[in-house]
Amino acid sequence: MAHYTIMGRDPYWMNFFGLMILTLIEVAAVGFDLSPDATGLDYTEKKLTLMILVAIGLPKFIMIAAIFMHLWGDEDSKILTLTALFPAFFIIVMILFIGLTHPEATTGLPEWCRPGFYS
Amino acid sequence: MDKEKIASRTLVIFVVLLLGMIAVPSATSLPTGVAGVKDSGCNCHGAVSSDSVSPTLEGLPETYNYSEVYTLNIGFTGGPSDPSNINQGGFNLWVSDGIISTSDASVQSWNPNEVSHTDAGNDQTTWTVEWTAPSNDRNVEFILHTNSVNGNAGSSDSGASDDEWNKLSIQISSPIVVLEQANPYTVLTTLIIVSFVLLLLVLTFIFYQNNPETFDWENFSSWVAGWLTTTDHKRIGTLYFIAGLFFLGIGGIMAILIRIQLMVPGNDFLTQDQYNQFFTLHGTTMIFLAAMPLINGFANWMVPLQIGAPDLALPRINALSFWLQPVAAILIFTGVFSGTGADVGWTGYAPYIVSETAHVGTTMWVAGQILLVASSTLTGINFLTTIAVMRAPGMGWMQMPLFTWSILVANLMLFLSIPAFGIGLIQVYLDRVIGTAFYDAASGGDPLLWSHLFWYFGHPEVYVVIVPAFGVISEVIATSARRSVFGYRSMVYAMAGIGVVSFIVYGHHMFTSGMDPTLRFVTMLTTMLVAVPTGIKIFNWLMTMNGGSLVYRTHTLWALGFLVTFTLGGISGMFFPSMAMDLHFHESYFVVAHFHYVLVGGTVFGFFSAIYYWFPKMSGRMLDERLGVLHFLTAFITYNGIFWPMHRLGVWGMARRHHTYFVSVDEVRGVNGEIISEAVIGALPPEAAGWNMFITVCAVLFFLSNFLMVANMIISLVRGQKAPADPWGGWSFEWMTESPPPTPSFGRFENGEWHDLPTLIDSNEHIANEPSKLGTWFNKLMVADKEEVEN
Amino acid sequence: MSEHDEHHHPSAWGPHDWSHGAPHNSWAPLIMSIGFGIFLFMLANAFTRGVFDVSYVPLVFVGLLVVLCGLIIWWKQDYSFDGTYEPRATGAPFKNIQIRKVAIWVFLMSEMMVFTSLFSTYIRYRTGIENCQTIFERGDWVAQGYTLEAGHAVICFEPASHLIASSWWHIAPGAINTFALIISSFTIVQALRYASKPVGEIDENVRRKKVTRYLASTWALAILFLSLKMIEWFIGFYIPEIEILGIHEHHIHSLYSEGYLINAEHYHHHDWVDEATGATMLANISVGASTFYVTTGTHGVHVFGGIIGLTYMTFKAWTGGYTPKNAVSIEYFGLYWHFVDLVWVLVFPFFYLY
Repeated sequence: MAHYTIMGRDPYWMNFFGLMILTLIEVAAVGFDLSPDATGLDYTEKKLTLMILVAIGLPKFIMIAAIFMHLWGDEDSKILTLTALFPAFFIIVMILFIGLTHPEATTGLPEWCRPGFYS
Repeated sequence: MDKEKIASRTLVIFVVLLLGMIAVPSATSLPTGVAGVKDSGCNCHGAVSSDSVSPTLEGLPETYNYSEVYTLNIGFTGGPSDPSNINQGGFNLWVSDGIISTSDASVQSWNPNEVSHTDAGNDQTTWTVEWTAPSNDRNVEFILHTNSVNGNAGSSDSGASDDEWNKLSIQISSPIVVLEQANPYTVLTTLIIVSFVLLLLVLTFIFYQNNPETFDWENFSSWVAGWLTTTDHKRIGTLYFIAGLFFLGIGGIMAILIRIQLMVPGNDFLTQDQYNQFFTLHGTTMIFLAAMPLINGFANWMVPLQIGAPDLALPRINALSFWLQPVAAILIFTGVFSGTGADVGWTGYAPYIVSETAHVGTTMWVAGQILLVASSTLTGINFLTTIAVMRAPGMGWMQMPLFTWSILVANLMLFLSIPAFGIGLIQVYLDRVIGTAFYDAASGGDPLLWSHLFWYFGHPEVYVVIVPAFGVISEVIATSARRSVFGYRSMVYAMAGIGVVSFIVYGHHMFTSGMDPTLRFVTMLTTMLVAVPTGIKIFNWLMTMNGGSLVYRTHTLWALGFLVTFTLGGISGMFFPSMAMDLHFHESYFVVAHFHYVLVGGTVFGFFSAIYYWFPKMSGRMLDERLGVLHFLTAFITYNGIFWPMHRLGVWGMARRHHTYFVSVDEVRGVNGEIISEAVIGALPPEAAGWNMFITVCAVLFFLSNFLMVANMIISLVRGQKAPADPWGGWSFEWMTESPPPTPSFGRFENGEWHDLPTLIDSNEHIANEPSKLGTWFNKLMVADKEEVEN
Repeated sequence: MSEHDEHHHPSAWGPHDWSHGAPHNSWAPLIMSIGFGIFLFMLANAFTRGVFDVSYVPLVFVGLLVVLCGLIIWWKQDYSFDGTYEPRATGAPFKNIQIRKVAIWVFLMSEMMVFTSLFSTYIRYRTGIENCQTIFERGDWVAQGYTLEAGHAVICFEPASHLIASSWWHIAPGAINTFALIISSFTIVQALRYASKPVGEIDENVRRKKVTRYLASTWALAILFLSLKMIEWFIGFYIPEIEILGIHEHHIHSLYSEGYLINAEHYHHHDWVDEATGATMLANISVGASTFYVTTGTHGVHVFGGIIGLTYMTFKAWTGGYTPKNAVSIEYFGLYWHFVDLVWVLVFPFFYLY
């Protein structure tokens, strides 16, 4: 169990409240119409929503991992965090190689490199 | 005790019945049927077999001429059929060879071998079809079922009651009399069942030998129950071992059948369809059911012994990992005996794998693979945890034996890469089962996604099977050379390097797929890079032998053989990173030669070496050296005879996964210069036929030579010389225990704690007790400063 | 056999005396393996490409039943576990951490790769196939004939968020699910907290009740999660007229009834009507739907697995099985459960909202 406090109170309660608030913001970002704010910032509404979701999602992720899963503030935290982060390299490789390539890529090749080119 | 006995017996019977229930449905899928189904005939119409109906089949010669077309008249007399009825009769004609074609609307064709009546043709008692005789020599069989219809159509069961049918079977022979054509499925089934029965007999025999006086059911069933429920790493290792060797044999049988087909050009022992199933099952069996279990067998046995641990970290999960494998094997082999086995290649490429043309057994193949993914994931977790947390006091990371390091790296690669395969399999399974659209091209599904997911796993997988062999070779060469391995630290870093880099090279399996060009470029470079650590290891082994004094035991010979064949395999592999060369070599026999050199010449030879090295430790008996050397000589020579010529065949362009090949005949010109006969386009040079025959002969000899090893093992188990704790002079922990080791392997658990675990005091590395800079920094940063806690 | 069993032979059927260490024999692995095999075999026979053969469905459940039997044997052996055998790591770098905790973290590493594969599939398809709404807004589908009237469907990617994020009511089940999982993460921590309070600091009966209640709440929240998911996917819900709040009655359609199916080759969204011609755009959205259902479904399967584990743990807690000595077992499950929550934190915005 955690031996530290957040703002003087039990860390698990505080974490819980924080996560609830962040989720409310998330749902609100999607539910409300943000087009006026989006055009003001020169983004599409979809892009703005996505940015808010990522900006909220990242702290949520870290809060659950660090406080609920004891990856911060515990004497074992360092090595367990390293263990948890070890697959990061492989995850990045998979997303780059599998997620971000697509079969239409060959249409970007020069003409002489494409099938059917006979000079 | 009695209740347990009854329970275990009931369970065994229940399991057998359950397995029988599962197997029965697949028993009826041969077109000619298994005994009993043949007689069911037209009972789909609710009809009854009757001798009053006489089918007739006219127009057949006694001996056919090649490719001649015959007009056949099908008819029948007898039965309740009457011209005044609406429906009079029906028929089904099946032929084993040649092609039946329809000539009018009264007959429909199910496939080139089978025709029957249409609805329009229900109103007659004679029909006409044409049969084209085969162009080669066959014993042709016609099976005709005719149904004499009662004619009461319009009744509630659509005129099915009171029909009578009968069957007629005619054989005609070919111009040149031939023996009965071998059915490859019959051959395969027979061999597999015979092997399995032999295995059971041998095991029972070994049980009997241990205790001839008390050979009765109670003792036998409790002995079997003990093996079925064990969680002891040594026993599970033995189970993996037996399963792995058994499937090595089965995969070998399939290889022999493939080689028989490829013996001569244009052979027809296996059709393309059958051939597809055989090479699929050969690959799948060898990698997933033979190589992986053999590796797991040795890992289970040796890793806890080598690190001084009493067992693995999670013993019951270890048992679960094992038992998922035979269950998966049963699923994978579904359909093989009836001709509907998976025919997608061990790589299972999309979109064929989700198409309707791919056989029904493909879904079961996918299901079995899903279970194997689960098994491998659990194994990976188990070994990683064990090696990380259960090393004996004094054994730091840099004091572990190299075999343990190799298992660590292999399992790390395995369980990080296999989820990608698992997800791909689940996507294919769902596509085939509930109709999702992951690989449905018509809905925008991308077949390349499967290739990416598969090879993201597939490439680390092939390193998973070779890295433990590296570990074994390090152990064997060190012990045989009577010195420690040269450059321990670089060996560790090389293996770790291979482990990491193996994840970013997989594109080289997909160079011809039309994948993203940038990725092609990246993986070309990384593939060239990954050969470097392997090269480092080979040079280290050579330096080990150079600085030592080799003792030539059988395991030493196998290790030396490994060095030769694996190096050759690695060099032939270096042609593939270059995309230009890959375009020519992809899907040719050059690839087949390469990967068999590294898989058989690497993994299998590594594990033969391990068998001869560790068998005394595992069984407590010594293997016979002379049989061992004989095994090595025959196997090594015939093995090279199989796979070396394949390089040349590949360069000539012989394609892989094609059921046959053709050789060119030189152009022959007549007196006036006209061409009488010509070369066949796309054919191989005439020498290719001779080399293929040579390869097949060597393959049969190689297959047989491995029985020398099996015989050696059985004889040793029965009456071999008792083995001491350390027959070879090795110095890792496993040699400090008895042969075989007790249970638990080390220490004892009492009052909630482990006592008497071994402590590593001395090791061969002079820098062993000084942690490296990296180690010191890592420890300072990552490991907590804690005193020992009692609980 | 071995020296230390001379007075006691632990049964392979359970229960197990943990003062002797981990079980040496267990029927559970064999039975569970057979069960999984039967399950996959029968499932493949029950469905073929979406065509349903109902006669095999009972056998599918037979397979699951066999797995459950194996699991019960496993639990019978675990039930008597009271913390006497909880080995800790020797040596760097996991010094003195419980071995099973390290094992859970290693397991979570592989689970990360599972969900990465699913996300990679999603990213690949979402960036590789054009978005349906984009195609609709571009407008040339009318001329190309991809209309409901013509029966010709355009291949495009329709994210579920188009339906789910369309109104507050539609997001509600997903949002409540998010809250449910966060609350359940919290309740599992509370269960651990009370189970590990040192002896004497808390009355044992109070401990038993509190741990049971917190575990049971986690279980209930997980059930709520899956129920809401089923409502969202298949059932839909009805909102009655509430004058005071200004809510008029309407029916929130499930994804299924909107036509968002894994084999939706002829799908149209109610907004896809061209003003000028009145034509409705027809789309083949099978790939997007398949990706959505399988990814969120895999997460749901993991929640279900958690429910199975929680059933056992709640029962064990109710009979007073958790003491400070073995409370760490709850922590192992808690780590898995927090991971499930973490995955939901990623799945929810990217599949439901974006």
